[in-house]
Formats: sequence, C-alpha cells, structure tokens
Amino acid sequence: MSAGTRVPLGQWARELLLGARFAVSGGRAGWTRTLLTSFGVGLGVAVLLLAASVPTALTAGDIRKDNRDWASSEEVEKAEHTVLLSWVYTEFRDETVSGRELQAEGDPDKAVLPPGVDKLPAPGEALVSPALRDLLDTEDGRKYLQPRFDGLTITGTVGDQGLSGPSELLFYSGSDELEADSGHVWRVSGFGHSEPSNPLSVALVALVVVMLVVLLLPIAAFIATAVRFGGERRDQRLAALRLVGADNAMTRRVAAGESLVGAVFGLALGSWLFLLGRSQARSIDLYGIGLFPSDIAPGFLFTLLIVVLVPACAVGVTQLALRKVVISPLGVAREGVDRGRRLWWRLATLLLGVVLLFVLGPRFSGGGADIWLLAGSVMLTLVGVTSLLPWVVERVVDRLQGGSLSWQLATRRLQLNSGLAARAVSGVTLAVAGAVALQMLYSSVQREDERDTGMDTGQADVTVYSGVEGGSDGERLAGQIRELDGVRSAHGYLTGEAVHEKTRVNEYDVRESVTFTVADCPTLRYLLKIDSCADGSTYFALDPNLPKDERPKVPAAGDRYDLRADPEKARPENPDWWTVRGKVEQARVGQDASGSQAPYGLYTTPDALAPERLGGEAAAHVQVRMVADGAGRADGVERIRNLAPITDPSFSVQELRSKAQSDEFTVLSNALMAGSVLVMLLIGGSMVVSTLEQLRERRRQLSVLVAFGTKRSTLGASVLWQTAIPVGLGLTLATAGGLGLGLLLLRMIGGGVADWWAFLPMVGMGLAMIALVTLASLPALWRMMRPDGLRTE
Amino acid sequence: MTETTTGATGALLSATALRKTYGATAALDGADFQIRAGEIVAVMGPSGSGKSTLLHCLAGIVPPDEGQVHYQGRELSGLSDAERSALRRGAFGFVFQFGQLVPELSCVENVALPLRLTGVDRKTAEGRAAEWLERLEVADVARKRPGQVSGGQGQRVAIARALVATPRVIFADEPTGALDSLNGERVMELLTAAARDTGAAVVLVTHETRVAAYSDRDVVVRDGKARDVAGMAGVA
Repeated sequence: MSAGTRVPLGQWARELLLGARFAVSGGRAGWTRTLLTSFGVGLGVAVLLLAASVPTALTAGDIRKDNRDWASSEEVEKAEHTVLLSWVYTEFRDETVSGRELQAEGDPDKAVLPPGVDKLPAPGEALVSPALRDLLDTEDGRKYLQPRFDGLTITGTVGDQGLSGPSELLFYSGSDELEADSGHVWRVSGFGHSEPSNPLSVALVALVVVMLVVLLLPIAAFIATAVRFGGERRDQRLAALRLVGADNAMTRRVAAGESLVGAVFGLALGSWLFLLGRSQARSIDLYGIGLFPSDIAPGFLFTLLIVVLVPACAVGVTQLALRKVVISPLGVAREGVDRGRRLWWRLATLLLGVVLLFVLGPRFSGGGADIWLLAGSVMLTLVGVTSLLPWVVERVVDRLQGGSLSWQLATRRLQLNSGLAARAVSGVTLAVAGAVALQMLYSSVQREDERDTGMDTGQADVTVYSGVEGGSDGERLAGQIRELDGVRSAHGYLTGEAVHEKTRVNEYDVRESVTFTVADCPTLRYLLKIDSCADGSTYFALDPNLPKDERPKVPAAGDRYDLRADPEKARPENPDWWTVRGKVEQARVGQDASGSQAPYGLYTTPDALAPERLGGEAAAHVQVRMVADGAGRADGVERIRNLAPITDPSFSVQELRSKAQSDEFTVLSNALMAGSVLVMLLIGGSMVVSTLEQLRERRRQLSVLVAFGTKRSTLGASVLWQTAIPVGLGLTLATAGGLGLGLLLLRMIGGGVADWWAFLPMVGMGLAMIALVTLASLPALWRMMRPDGLRTE
Repeated sequence: MTETTTGATGALLSATALRKTYGATAALDGADFQIRAGEIVAVMGPSGSGKSTLLHCLAGIVPPDEGQVHYQGRELSGLSDAERSALRRGAFGFVFQFGQLVPELSCVENVALPLRLTGVDRKTAEGRAAEWLERLEVADVARKRPGQVSGGQGQRVAIARALVATPRVIFADEPTGALDSLNGERVMELLTAAARDTGAAVVLVTHETRVAAYSDRDVVVRDGKARDVAGMAGVA
C-alpha cells in the first residue's frame, strides 16, 4: 500500500478492534492496566458530570423557592381560596429554621396550598421538612429546639417540591389567630413569585471563573494522565505488531482502539459513579450545600461534550504520546531524549496567559467575552506553569550527583526518564498553583466583601426584642433571661407609645403618637448622643428628616401624655396621664447594640416614669452578655430563643457579629471548599494509581536489585526520593506560579494581597498528599520487590 | 511456491556494499550478500560482528547508511514505510531469539496476526494458524497465551507465525538462542522442513555451528564484512 492511499473503513474498524482486543486481553496484567485507566478516566468523568450539573443544581433550589414564594406587594381581595400567611423564623446553631403560619380565610379545602403541602394544617398542627423532623429527633434538637415547637403537633412532612434542598429546615403551621391587617401577615391568593436576583459583583464573577478553571483543569490533566497508563507496555506491543507487518498508521489505529476502550469503560464507570453519588446526594451535606438527586442533572449539551470529548481526548493524548516514540519492528526508541525538552513552547504558553491577563487587567467587566478571556488566560497560565515542570525536573536532575545509594538510584532513574515522574506530579502542581492563586483572590475578595454590621459586640453578645403587654412584662423577660444558664448579665430598655393630650386627629383618623423609651442613664448615654444624664432626666429626639410642618412639638415641663391612649380613638378613654417634669433636653439619636438606630421620641429614666406604667404596644429590648465562648454560650443562646414559641413574630433573638459577608460569598466559599475536597481526593487517587503504575513498569528492575542483595529500605528510600524530588520541584514551581497568577488576578479586580502566606496550607496539603500516596503504595512496593518478580520475562 | 522472480544475478534477495555505523562503531563495512529462493543461508560470526545488523538491513527494518538491498529487483530503501511494512506482512517472516509474540493474544491469535493485518477474516486466519500450529506440533497451546507456554513452544509458535502468510524469505535471528540443545534441534528441524516445504528462503543468523549445519550455505560476518564460506554455488 502506498503512502496516502485511502484506508478502507473495514480495515480501520478491524485495527481499532484489534487495539480494543489488546485492552481487554492479556490476563490479569492487561485487565489491571485497563481497569486503572478506566478508573482514572471514570473518576474524571464523574467529576466532569458533576461540574456539568452545577448550573441546574444552583438554580433548581431557587426555582422551588420561587414556586413557594408569594407576591408580598400585591393587594389581594379576600376570597374563598385565599389564605393569611405569617412568615416566622428562628435560628438554631447558626442554621435558619423558617416557617409560615397559614390560615384559610374561606373553606380550608379550597385554600391555595404551597408546593409540598397536600392539606392545610389545622390550627396547632405543623408540617415540617424531613431535615427539621430529623433535627427535632436528635438529643440536641429535643433539648434546645423542641421547646420552641411546644404547642404545635407535627402531623406530616413537607414534600421535596416545597423545599430548596434536602437539608432545609422549614415548617408550615396552621393558625386561627392571624389578622389580615397586622403588619406581618399577608393575604395570599396563589404561590409562585419570582424576584430578580442581584447580579454578582465583578470580583465575585472573577472568583467564580477562576474557581471553575482551577477545579476543572486538574481533572482534564488527570484524564490525560490516566489514558497514558501502561504506555511502555503498549509501545512494546506495537513494536511486535510492526515486526509482523503493521505500518506506522496501522499501529496508531491499533493504539487508538486500545485507548478508546479505556476511555469508554471510563465513561461507563464515571457515569455509574456519578449516578451512585447522585443517588446519595440527599445524605451528603458538604459545607451546607444539600441537593436533591433530581437537582444534579448535567445539561444535554455538556453531557454530549463529555461523551464525545473524553474518548477523543484519550485518542488524542495517545497519538501525541506516540509522536515522541519511534516504534520499529525491533523495539521502541524515544525521540528527543538526547536533545532535551524544549523550553520555548512552555514559556510561550505561560507568557501568552500572563500577557492576556495583564491586558485584560482592570478592563475586566465581569460579563460577556471577558469571562471567556479570563478563563482562557488563567488556563494558559496554569498550563504554562505546569508544562515547565518536566523541563525543570530534567534540568535539575541532570545536575544531581553523588549521595547515598538510594539517592543515587533515584537520581539515575530520574535522569534516564524524568517524564513519567514529572507527569505524575503535574496534576498536583496544577492544582496547587491554581489553589494558591485562588486563595489569594479569595482572601482579597473576602476582605473586600466583609462589611461592618454596625453591631457593637462590646456592648452585648445577644440582643432580644420582644413585644410585651406592659412594662412589667419587659422587666420579667429580662429577669427570665438573667436566670438562664450561659447568660452572664441582661439589662435593657422599654419602648412604648403615648399620645400628647393636645394632639389632634389627623387626616387618617388617628392621633399621632410619640415613642417613649425608658432606660437607665448608662443605656440612655449609649442610645443618645448626650453629655450628661441623671436620674429623672428627660430628652427629646426629633426626626430631622420630617418636614417642618409635620414635626411634633418639643415637649415642655407640664405637658401631659396619655400612656394608655389608643391613637385610633379621637379622645382618650380612661387615660393614664404622665406629666413632663423639669427641663426636656433635645438630643440626637445613636444606635443600639444591634446597630439599629434608636427611635425618635421621648427618653426618660425609670425615676421619671415607672416602666410598668408603659402599656399597650410596648416592647422590651434586652441586651445580653453571655459567658465566654464555648458550648455553654451556644446552649445559652438557644435557651433564650426557647423563651417564646417559634410562631411568635414579635420575639427575636439576634447574636451580634461585628463582620458579615454577602450570601453569594458564603455560597461561593462553601462551593470552593466542597470543590477543593473533591479535587484533592481525585488527585490523591490519581497519584496512587500512577505510582502503582510506575512500580509495575519497574517490577523487574526492582526484583533484580533485590536479587543482588539491595536492602528493601534502600529501595523504599529510593522510591521516596524519586517521588520527593519532582514533588519538591513541582510545589516550588506551583507556589511561584500561583503567587504570580494571584497577583495578576488581584490587579484585575483592583484588590490587594490580604495574606502573603495564604499558599502555605495549599503546599502543606500537597505535601500531606504525597506522604499519604507514598504510604498507600508501600505495600505494593514490598510485594513487587520479591525476587519472583524476575519471572516477568 | 510459484513466483520465482529474481534479480539479474538470480538472487531473490541481495545486498551490495552495505555500510552501517552506530556512533563511531561500524557494524557493517561494505558487506555483500545474496540468497536464492528456497535457499537456507546461515550468517555466522562472533558477538558484535554485525550479523544481526546485516539481517535487519536485509529485512528493511534498519536502513543502511550506504549500499543497497534488492528484493526481487526492488530496492528496499526506495520503499515507503507502508510498502516495507507490506513486505513484512506478506513476503517476509521473522523468528527472533525471544519470540516477540504479543502477550495479550493467544498463540493461535498471534499466528493469525499477519493474516488479519492483510484483511483476512478471523475465522479463515485462525483456521490457517491452527494448521500451522498443528504442523509445528504445538496445537495443544493454541488457546494459551505466550506467558503460559514454554520457551520451545513459544519459538514454534513464532515459526508458525513467520510461515503462516507463506513468505518468500524467513529471517531467523538466533532462533534457538534461548533454548536447550534438544529443543533447539527440534525447532531447527521444524523450521527448515517447513521452509523447504513452502519454498521459502531462510536467512539464519547464529553463532552455533550446530544450528548452522541445517543451512545450505554459510556466510561469515567479521569486522563488518560478509564472506561466503562455501562459495555461491548455484547462484548465477
């Protein structure tokens, strides 16, 4: 057959099948090799399918949330099917437990139902999410959460379609006490409402893009490594084929057929692993990200790409590997060994990535083509850094001399062929370089994203707000809190409404009231911007934003306020008059410990106005000091929350934190942690596989050395050196490359370096992984050192 | 054996003034060689004399630095890789010291391999392979893999593979080098008998006179030059 002759399709198929035959025959060794490849590709495919499911996974929960939401701004007329709804929530151990009280306005059987609810719960009954049911069944839940649910009988669970995810803590309870006109009650005629979501900031977009590249690139590298498992044996096999008359093109087709089998098995295994993991999704809660199995659905296009690209990649990598090998009928010779590895294309790749990032720099808009440009340039930079590794390893090991026998064995072996070792480490280098850059970006964005909450943790650890019937209830609440375990001190102030005796009924048929705040002097000094305070002092804080004609009259000595007045009644009935005594000083308001602005109105001390006289819609604000950090403190907070039923909308407990982060950032941070764990597990697995593969290739040499009388410890040390040298170089390169990439990314988002040493945990993780991989491969090493390995001929 | 096209000299395969160096070492230094159809020629010489290099050049596996190799009048160095591969599939057969069998395939599949590479269907190819295994007295190992058979059996399988496509020339490089004398003799008997039956020429590289005794003619390679010991009797 002359060169350039078209090869019949049948011959193609025959040669591909012959290759496939090689992949599945060859006894235990052949199967082991194919299984290793399939396992490697399978792990990669499983992660790729998982990554392809991210868009659905991210939106599925939101869609279900939208489906159970209601239009809170719409005016809805009462009807047979309308329900009154009150939204309540509490926290338990930093997790939110939210609930909706429902009350049919007409026939309960005709009432609209939220998704996941089959029947409106009757008053006193509740439907809970499975996660909440399980939580309430735990000892901790029974002790510290159940008291809030006392009075509610759990009669069933909320269906999956009504939950954002399997770990959501949600309940629906029935009520007969909701009133349509109350501030916290909505009339709902149907469920399903979508609010536009806030777009991510440029920095967060950059973080997301870099995160995806950094997490997915090692997977691609891993697949490329996996399809090269058993490369040396394959080359020898192809040489035998050449001897019996296969030409170069035939051997390439046979090799393609062989690698296709590993890739196709890998696809099948990966799909199975993915489906297995997916079926367990409900029980997996990685850093708060819980999903239903149906949420993890890779898009059709992504799936198609994976199904086509993975085998194509396997064939491509094999063909690339074969380009460096001359397979003659007499055996195999590697090209370019004498010439040494070329530096130019490695540097060119790196430089192209760096230049693109530099040019993109502060122009990055966070959308459109910029996203692809950023992904491409980060990919080029990381690939450039990683591709330098084989060159660096080759140059460095060439200069290594002398040393102990184990060192000598290791360095000579590396000098002979450093490519295999460098390739095995390239996944770690890629992952660590990416992780270092990502960590730098992450720390900087975290610092930028962190905002002051305005909460004053120097003043209180927890604030409690509760509507009370009168001032004495407020006192009682503070006393109850003080009695709880875990609480060090509790004191607070009361607010209530009173009406000036001369206030007239306005156009809305109400008399405007004034907020009264009764607190001791230290608290008043905190709430108001005043220089001095004495028992009996009275202050008035005017809202400067009110138009002049609407501003209330500043009270003067002798003015009278009705503490029991109902503002909706034109005249006081059974009034409880409080008379202003002494001078009323004007003051400006400050903030309370929770960062909320103190109310405008009249402020005085208990000496001037006994708290129990405040009636009607009074509220207690209690500032609580907890014991030092620890379980006692956390339990104490839950005990405070248990002072009121979960359905009491007027009772809220807030733990004060001086810093807070946006929800998007928290989700990203969780996703990053979950992704890093997966990638590290994958790389660890791949390294074990490739180390075993290397050992298998060298079984005979190891046996020969043992037969000579070489100590096992010497060989063990030499294997360790052989891993440690490329790993050391890889981690150094990864750190330098990662820091450089990190700086370029920070320049792009205009951020600064938050922590120069942020790379240390990544490098530590890399080192720990190497140690684990070496430990995991030791048993196989000992087995292969047996002299019977000599029988491999 | 029907086709007898030969070169001008009547030789099926001939080499003239072959020169091949590896680094500073000259493996061949002006070697000449000829073989007629059906002839068995032993190439002898001490280790490192260049006899294996001569065989590789003759088979078109290694290109000589200088000189020419002609097979049926066609110069091998003028052929493409695909054309030389086609020659190895159809016209040449190989038996080396270690069988060079593919460990993943069973013995019968190994023997059928050259046929399958030329497009013969599996059933026919394996049928013919089985016949050859039978003839070489290793039919019982047909379904075994090379790793599961003895050295002597492996070499017989390799001979079967070399003969299955009815080649014109068999290149045998130390075919008994890894065998004990009894097995070695049996392998040589089978190889030469089969070659004579099919009319194939055999280029037999060996350093053992005992093995060379099976040949029609001996060529000694020394210092890169080939010298015909018994003269080219019968070659026109």
